[in-house]
Amino acid sequence: MITLLSSSPTDTKAVAAAVAGVVRPGDLILLVGEMGSGKTAFAQGFAAALGVIDPVTSPTFTLVHTYEGRYRVHHADVYRLERMAEVADLAIAELADDKDAVVLVEWGDVVAAGLGHDLLTVRLQPTEVERPEQRVITVSGAGDRWADRWPRVQAALAAWVG
Amino acid sequence: MLILGIETATDQVSCAIGGHEGVLALFEVLRGRRHAETLAPAIEMICRQADVTLDEIGAIAVDVGPGLFTGMRVGIATAKAMAQALRVPVIPIASLDLLAFPLRHADRLIATVVDARRDEVYFAFYRQVPGGLQRVTGPAVGSVDDLVGELLARGEESLCVGDGALRHRELIATGARRVEFAEQWLAHPSAAPLVQLAHAKALREEWVPGSAVVPLYLRRPDAEINWATREVAR
Repeated sequence: MITLLSSSPTDTKAVAAAVAGVVRPGDLILLVGEMGSGKTAFAQGFAAALGVIDPVTSPTFTLVHTYEGRYRVHHADVYRLERMAEVADLAIAELADDKDAVVLVEWGDVVAAGLGHDLLTVRLQPTEVERPEQRVITVSGAGDRWADRWPRVQAALAAWVG
Repeated sequence: MLILGIETATDQVSCAIGGHEGVLALFEVLRGRRHAETLAPAIEMICRQADVTLDEIGAIAVDVGPGLFTGMRVGIATAKAMAQALRVPVIPIASLDLLAFPLRHADRLIATVVDARRDEVYFAFYRQVPGGLQRVTGPAVGSVDDLVGELLARGEESLCVGDGALRHRELIATGARRVEFAEQWLAHPSAAPLVQLAHAKALREEWVPGSAVVPLYLRRPDAEINWATREVAR
């Protein structure tokens, strides 16, 4: 697990861009954190780094947005869902099976059970009240896909590590 | 009675019209555009080519999976909508049963395996019995290792069929040993066996209203998401 400090939403986007630098098609990334913690900001920085030009907005009400960049970026949000059947209907595992795509899932940790072993989890947490824009971001990988690349992930994020 | 069969549970899109004379028309495309763009024009085409009007359709058969949710939502929504508009019932049939049906004369264990993505498979085992096939294991979802374990536990010669069997062919062959694989062209469920199986069910009036049709979820669909984190946020 890598723990880092982001000073602002702009900084969170830069962290996301660094993560985008090491992704491969077929990757599935879970974005975890409360409302306003910066999940969508992360998605924006991530997509921009992959060459997405369209504005990236929260998919809370539309469930999945798809953007075209160097890879296709599927941006999903399970916040409104109540039952696992609804998660199945979103077909997140199938989106990740697309050979040209990466998938971001906001609030994805609660539904990880159906998404396979290879996951990157990005957790965003506010810190002190006096620094409302600051976030502690933890990045953890699971499965062979991420184990193989972990030194590159660490190198990409080294600038933000305390 | 004529039956319209709709099949979108894997990468293949298929539709067929059949009845007591057998299959009258069949459409299959594996490497097409997306399911939604292919299905409706295909149904229109087979009806036209077979000289069948929609008001002659007495029931709609649909593959309810397990399979691709991106595909099934197209096929199941189409089946429900057409059933409601035509005021006809729906006959839901499982993808794994459809894969086994063409192999029903094989005198060994039949393992049907549908690709569930992310290194998982949906599978079921069948055995020949007088008059047809009997499902002896599943339907289940699990890793390829789980499937291999089940095959080893059975310890007999088996015939694997399905897109999941082909995708993970090497792992299955190495792990389970006494296993053979069915032809590639049998690897996707087709609407031809779908209408044939549905016709037998229609004779026994084994059908449901369109509103009752749901995809076959194998991962505890009624389980509520554990939203401890969200409740804190609210």
